[in-house]
Amino acid sequence: MTPNVDERIASVIRSLSEVILPHLPPEASLAQEQAHLCIGHLQILRAQIDKVPAFEREELDDALGVARELSTKVTGAEHTKAAVTAINAAVAASDGSDVRGERKRVLQAIDTLVKAVSTDGSPEGKSAASRLILQHEAARSLKDRKWFAPFGFDAL
Amino acid sequence: MSITSTTLAATVPVTQPSITNDMEAINRRILDRRAANRSLPPYRAALIPEATELLASYFERVRPGAKVDGVRRVGGGASKEQFFFGLTDADGSKQQYLLRMDPRSAITETDREREFILLEAMAGYVPVPAAAWIDPNGSHFPQPAAIMKVVRGVTKPSGSGVKVSGLGTYLGEELRVKLRDQFLDLLIKIHAYDFRARPLSGYEVPDSDTKQAARWTTNYWRELWHIDEGETRPIFALAEQWLADNMPDCPPENLALTHGDYRTGNYLFDEESGEITALLDWELARIGDFHEDLGWVLMQIFGTMIDGTFRASDLFGREEFITEYERRSGRTVNRATLHYYDVLSSYKCYIICAANGLAAARSQHNHQDVLLTFLGTATAIFAGDLVRLLSHGEPA
Repeated sequence: MTPNVDERIASVIRSLSEVILPHLPPEASLAQEQAHLCIGHLQILRAQIDKVPAFEREELDDALGVARELSTKVTGAEHTKAAVTAINAAVAASDGSDVRGERKRVLQAIDTLVKAVSTDGSPEGKSAASRLILQHEAARSLKDRKWFAPFGFDAL
Repeated sequence: MSITSTTLAATVPVTQPSITNDMEAINRRILDRRAANRSLPPYRAALIPEATELLASYFERVRPGAKVDGVRRVGGGASKEQFFFGLTDADGSKQQYLLRMDPRSAITETDREREFILLEAMAGYVPVPAAAWIDPNGSHFPQPAAIMKVVRGVTKPSGSGVKVSGLGTYLGEELRVKLRDQFLDLLIKIHAYDFRARPLSGYEVPDSDTKQAARWTTNYWRELWHIDEGETRPIFALAEQWLADNMPDCPPENLALTHGDYRTGNYLFDEESGEITALLDWELARIGDFHEDLGWVLMQIFGTMIDGTFRASDLFGREEFITEYERRSGRTVNRATLHYYDVLSSYKCYIICAANGLAAARSQHNHQDVLLTFLGTATAIFAGDLVRLLSHGEPA
């Protein structure tokens, strides 16, 4: 690819930083703020863009992992059983061909399971669901926080 | 396709179907408006000449002879379109005002008239900007708008650098000493407002049962999440269910006027004297459990963490804030209730960043899409907060 993505983003950053931003009038505060934010966004995108496919693949793998565990360890009555069946279907349908879509469907199935367990899950099922989700999300949210740390909100 | 509350009710799994629609009437209207607006075309930020013309034609009608000048945008903030301007009356007297106008969709969905009513009620009680004019339905301005007098002061120390939306503002030792008592005492005064003796028009009191204060707020935020089609994740689902299953009681004496977004960044202060000159951003105010404000104040995102020491709004350590609040207010902070509102605060912040802001940006309904996607990256912090809070369980 010529020019490559890095070269293209770098040129946009330089244009915004060195040509457009200095020529904005001092009273154009909104435009100045947004130009700074655009530059910040692009700098982070530039640093991360090559790692995005692997990050999203890992997100899907993590979702599949907790979904599989939930489906084997969460028990209950009608609603819970139906939700477990739906999780198994979402997991079975995942072949990596649509990483974002598959992850979204798996997470939605987990969401439905959490509500179903509250309705008619066994006491053990409720406990297992909470424990597995907290374990999974302790690790997952930390990965997400590290990924987004360059935006400056996180005191990691 | 627009989403209505009826279709949402059919798709949202609920624990207690009969009470999931229980909320203040104004919040039902706000949610219905949010859902209806989803299908509207993109919104464009007003240009200065357009804002000037809008203001000039408005004052031709409401204040004949007055002249508008010096219209300029206000920097910072993440929700409203805001413009400073001067208004010179026919007798030559001049006053600076602030126009605060809704974009088509924002990171928070609120009501300008409700905020206006509260500013009028708070005038002379706690420092607030004087409310001047209101266009509640956008009959003149393109969107609902309010105009208030400008108050002197800053939201952060000069030279403190760029901080998005005032998050994590560092005040420093000198200002901290000057501001902290005022910050706490003003919050206590807000909570002491006698809303029964001096009712606030449109502000309903959640007193039909002791769970209603918690129910109203969780119902509102949960539905907002579904309207904006936030992308779920397991910890969010768990938190949502936990909040539905663990609503605390709110005895009558715990009902209070709550500010809703009380933190450094949402008040003005005089940099020399350290005097707080105005409390801002009352749009999320409601009558509810006073613990709801405490949970919000104590959110880590709104404070500073320096050398491992957390300060809420860079003013108080967590325990220090709670014990001082109790000592000065005479109230008792119920730790289990506070824990609930700690969880609710992170849940609300998650919704604001992951659903409301991103939905507004995706729909191109806001003048700061790039800021909203920037703020959206904070979502992971709130997911982490929820893990921490739900892992620790409820304090005794």
